[in-house]
Amino acid sequence: MTESRRPGSEIAHPRDMEVNEQEILRRKEFLDFREEDAAALRRLNTIAQRDADPMIDDLYRHFLSFHETKAFFQDPKVLERVKRLQKEYFLRLTDGEYGADYVANRLRVGTVHERINLAPKWYLGAYSYYLRGVASRLQEAFADEPKQALAAFLSLMKLVFLDIGLAVDTYIDARESTMRKQQEAIRELSTPVLQIRDRLLLIPIIGVIDTLRARLITESLLRSIRANRAKVVVMDITGVATIDSKVANHLLQTVTAARLMGALVIVSGLSSEVAQSLVVLGIDLDKLNTVGDLQGGIEEAERLLGYRLVKTSDVRGAPEAE
Amino acid sequence: MPVPILKQGDILIASIQAALSDQELVQLRDELADRVGRFRSRGAIIDVTALDVLDSFATRMLRGIAQTARLRGAQTVVVGIQPEVAFSMVQLGLTLDGVATALDLEEGVALLRRRSSGGEHVG
Amino acid sequence: MSAEIRVPIERETDIVTARQKGRELAAVNGFASTDQTLIATAISEIARNIVVYAQRGEIVLAALESRGRRGIMVVGRDDGPGISDLELAMRDGYSTTRSLGMGLPGAKRLMDEFDLSSVLGKGTTITMKKWVR
Repeated sequence: MTESRRPGSEIAHPRDMEVNEQEILRRKEFLDFREEDAAALRRLNTIAQRDADPMIDDLYRHFLSFHETKAFFQDPKVLERVKRLQKEYFLRLTDGEYGADYVANRLRVGTVHERINLAPKWYLGAYSYYLRGVASRLQEAFADEPKQALAAFLSLMKLVFLDIGLAVDTYIDARESTMRKQQEAIRELSTPVLQIRDRLLLIPIIGVIDTLRARLITESLLRSIRANRAKVVVMDITGVATIDSKVANHLLQTVTAARLMGALVIVSGLSSEVAQSLVVLGIDLDKLNTVGDLQGGIEEAERLLGYRLVKTSDVRGAPEAE
Repeated sequence: MPVPILKQGDILIASIQAALSDQELVQLRDELADRVGRFRSRGAIIDVTALDVLDSFATRMLRGIAQTARLRGAQTVVVGIQPEVAFSMVQLGLTLDGVATALDLEEGVALLRRRSSGGEHVG
Repeated sequence: MSAEIRVPIERETDIVTARQKGRELAAVNGFASTDQTLIATAISEIARNIVVYAQRGEIVLAALESRGRRGIMVVGRDDGPGISDLELAMRDGYSTTRSLGMGLPGAKRLMDEFDLSSVLGKGTTITMKKWVR
């Protein structure tokens, strides 16, 4: 984990996960975080202000002693800035105000961590380190009233878990969003539409066809039909992993959509066994032009387009056959 | 008349510019039927290039127009369905079965010529 | 949630207005062109139902944002007679090719989330949502 920024990641503001009032209330209820807790935390504010700097310094000494976390602070300016932000973050814990504003502030954490590739384990470890520091200072501050110290610590713990919950949830969301984008990119690459002759397109389909991929194939094909003014499309499914009724229906939809744009689709690579099983499943294959293999499919397409293959050796004295 | 209808030989061409109402589509159907009869047209092309949505209603009406034209002896070809519109239509389950389709005006005319000369080839 | 756009549906021309506004809102919120068309088409279907079966109602459009994703919500509301057989209306074979077809299963396919509630004699509310992919 040496790079602090993944290439290609957005520089714009992270989009906040929306957590509405209802959701916040529910989380607080589940954590049993009440007004008394908020009041208790507010009372800790003076101690927090007093001890903030030494605590932060201690925490960052800890980070810098592990190469994995040290990596995030190569630049001393970055380190200074982050320490400052960290201080603000910790002081908010004893603010007393834990409403929508507070939550919005916390939500950003997860998105930022995902963006810079800081895994939850470091974040959680850091919180644990911080809490231990707080625990010992509370013990000192409430030396004569240990019950109070414990009570204050428990209130803090509830709030900290609210924070962690929010941060981890946004981290997961941001992660899923990144993965979705990557999958999208992969899908784009894996559905090429090739123009093999004037007005003739070939789509070799390989692998697993799920609803999303089927949709991508269809959209891509339809745009290509328009761009290439294609009249015939050979859709080769030899390489399709499984052809069940769902996949067959996707294919039928693609064929129907292409027809609406005036293009005829020839499905090649549909083996007779697969065809039979589809018929048994009740799929209407009458609407499909099918040919056993790819070569047959292309030949049929060429025939329909009026092409005729002539071998030069068969033609005496003729110029290069087309 | 909201939809201009041009005559090109024995083919009529109607270019729909914007979403049409119930009434306007009925009007179009009647106008086409009338002209097919009058000019003994063999074909009618309905160009929907400008339409950004073809819902179930519009699709039903197009089929109705094609049926009426057929009764008068003309084949209808719907041309210009855009990729996104075609996609939406199949998602919605609309097929325009029984109505010929082509990519655009040029292809539509070619199709009608081919059909009338009895060709099998697509191109 | 941001402001809503209400489109009263009383006559046919309102259907086109509703779907155009739906398309615009979708565009502004980052939907790809194809998805804009899907949304506009779904709006067209339910708006037409309002005109045909209830004579008047409204389409309410709103932008959505949740868990980092943006989306659009379309609500079709009317005080019409209601749908007597919800199951039948939502069955896929009860298709849009027949004159009585309501296009509801189709609209459902076009959107990501679809909710239908109808009370006989009181009206129908259809709530649909779609998220930017």
